[in-house]
Amino acid sequence: MTQQSHTQHINTVVIVGGGNAGWLTAGRIAAKHQGQVRVILIESPGIPPIGVGEGTWPTMRSTLLALGISETDFIRECDATFKQGAKFARWVDGSPEDFYYHPLVLPQGFGKADMAAYWLHGSLHGSLHGTSATTDVSPAMANVGPFSSFSNDLCYQEAICERGLAPKTIRHAEFAAVANYAYHLDSGKFGVFLQRHCMEKLGVEHIQDDVIAVQSASNGDIAAVQTQNHGLIAGDLFVDCTGFKSLLLGKHYQVPFKRCDDVLFIDTALAVQVPYETSDAPIASHTISTAQDCGWIWDIGLQHRRGVGYVYASRYCSEAEARETLARYVGPAIADLAVRKIPIESGHRTRFWQNNCVAVGLSAGFLEPLEASALVLVELSAQMIAEQLPATRGVMDIVARRFNETFLYRWDKIIDFLKLHYILSQRDDSAFWRDNRDLATIPQSLQDLMQLWQHRAPGDLDFTSNNEVFPAASYQYVLYGMGFRSETARQSRQLNNWDFVASQLQQNRKMIDQALTLLPSNRELIDKIRQYGFQNI
Amino acid sequence: MANLVAVQPALHQHLLVVPSQIDTHAAGQNLIPLIPAELSHVATQLPVVLAKNGQTGQFVLAALTGFAVQENLMLEQGHWQGIYLPLQIQRQPFFVGKATPDAADYVVCIDLDSPATLFSTERLGAQRLPADAEALFNADGSETAYYRDAKLKLAQLLQGEQQRELLLSELLALRLLQPMSLEITFADQSITKLNGLYTIDEQQLAQLPAEHLVRLHQQGLLGAVYAILGSAAQIYGLIARKNKQLGY
Repeated sequence: MTQQSHTQHINTVVIVGGGNAGWLTAGRIAAKHQGQVRVILIESPGIPPIGVGEGTWPTMRSTLLALGISETDFIRECDATFKQGAKFARWVDGSPEDFYYHPLVLPQGFGKADMAAYWLHGSLHGSLHGTSATTDVSPAMANVGPFSSFSNDLCYQEAICERGLAPKTIRHAEFAAVANYAYHLDSGKFGVFLQRHCMEKLGVEHIQDDVIAVQSASNGDIAAVQTQNHGLIAGDLFVDCTGFKSLLLGKHYQVPFKRCDDVLFIDTALAVQVPYETSDAPIASHTISTAQDCGWIWDIGLQHRRGVGYVYASRYCSEAEARETLARYVGPAIADLAVRKIPIESGHRTRFWQNNCVAVGLSAGFLEPLEASALVLVELSAQMIAEQLPATRGVMDIVARRFNETFLYRWDKIIDFLKLHYILSQRDDSAFWRDNRDLATIPQSLQDLMQLWQHRAPGDLDFTSNNEVFPAASYQYVLYGMGFRSETARQSRQLNNWDFVASQLQQNRKMIDQALTLLPSNRELIDKIRQYGFQNI
Repeated sequence: MANLVAVQPALHQHLLVVPSQIDTHAAGQNLIPLIPAELSHVATQLPVVLAKNGQTGQFVLAALTGFAVQENLMLEQGHWQGIYLPLQIQRQPFFVGKATPDAADYVVCIDLDSPATLFSTERLGAQRLPADAEALFNADGSETAYYRDAKLKLAQLLQGEQQRELLLSELLALRLLQPMSLEITFADQSITKLNGLYTIDEQQLAQLPAEHLVRLHQQGLLGAVYAILGSAAQIYGLIARKNKQLGY
């Protein structure tokens, strides 16, 4: 590398591929470096985006803010609704009444006391189940309870979701809330909306053309991409947002793909869009994930339709059987609807940033949408690229190495967390569920944590990286929602502040009462946003 | 609940309005909507605030007249205790409506259930009419001076609403609003918290680039901005009224 290229400033970022990944990355870079860095997005005309990922994380609120997008405009134009977490139905034993929540609000008292340990101890050894001979039931402890489920006792959001209520009212300012929330959105409309915003407000240049070749520099960097009709497009940094094709990172750089289908078995999705029967039909304010014999069905309520899909493992059931399962869930309406089959190759590239090329979105990898990880990984990638954009080519390799470490860690953690949902199930209706519990399919990192959690609840010190994706609270919601019970008997002496616990449970009940009085239904609030909009304060 | 009908000379020859009863329409309201043109009058006697409509979340410009939802400290025995009565009350019992929802033109309506509305029927004629009762129409069917004045107020209000929308959209666009959170201790040591009210962000206003200030000025809105700011101290007058009501 010549000295000149080493000190070469990063002036032009070329993003290959549109879709949500391309436009979110373009937008974050342009918003952060407006006027200093030229952002060009090349998009193949006529290639429809895959359009997966209709669920977001609460991070999307900060992403929209960073892009300077009005929440009202976003909700109106992207068919968006509020999402307050996920309801996992029939995951534990498959019975009709079997469900738990992974809400977006932290457990009551989380961080102030080991509430999960108290809850476990109270529900296992408390007065209502006071048959245990191993512990004394202190009078203070006997006053706490009764206990129902972890997510309902310690989080008011489950009650809000069960009643189909919104996380805020029309009097709340944009992005403000009573209860933490994310969105459900129409992926196709979101792409169009982002494109317009990026071009009109953030100065992103748009070239509609096919990239047909890569021109390399002597150091192996991409000097330019050759387009069909616009000649060579040169740049200092190239972002690969070409979807499953992974044109730059996969095809050009031959960065290997690491499959993880030995851990996560799902490899196919059957997706369908289900219109509401009436225009005032209730909109669920959470993602509903219902376990089936060889996978699970997602159910996401948008303004005008639901997005429903069966993700299953084809080595355990045929497509015909899967279609039947989906039809049973959707009902007779499915006869008139188009079912789209999407192959899922679970896994990720072994590096995401190679030379002066970084992959964002499906070109980096994909996992089943169990915890809506697709869009959040795009957001986190776009944020890190924008905020750590190398000043010169000389420092790019350092940023690249750090980016790779960060995201390899994140992918591993997401894979662990998704697997956690499967290993505690008691379902015995197919080899799919039995094999999921086979130790050979469980990453060692997750096995280690599970051994620790036999004796105590997940805590913040289990997750000490700055790059954590899921906090300890998320593990608690899934573990105890799935019926796992850490043995707390040996902690009974430490668990000595039952008055505090009683006040926290009381506080949660109070929050439920207040929320149910104050909050409108999800549908009602969406209608008001369409009519009046939120204020910016 | 108002019972609104379109005013028609043929039907309402005997309709009377009792001006001394109009103030009662302010009862039970602690926020009285205002238009920018009257801010200079109101701001010398009451705090002018912004609040959100509970149903729509849209901002309203209003005079604060009480510390609880239905409390109006400006009203004593049904009479307004200030020099200036906001136009929103003055215009009672008249309203502007449309004959049909799609009609282009406005018609004047009257609230027949208003305590200020009377029919001078034969039966009522036997009683003594209030001394200040005003007719809408003369014997020859022409409009009385009182009714012409009432219609003028409605026109002012209608025009003022456009000016108010302009003011609100500018305040929001320039991010000149900030929430105000007040905790007030009354003479009897009771404490009340005022939430959901907004006022002008003085710092933001001080930093406003000149071109925005000029635009506000040219639109006739700058005076309103300063009137809202200056009215804040009127909260003490309102607290004094509350303390007096509490017997202190």
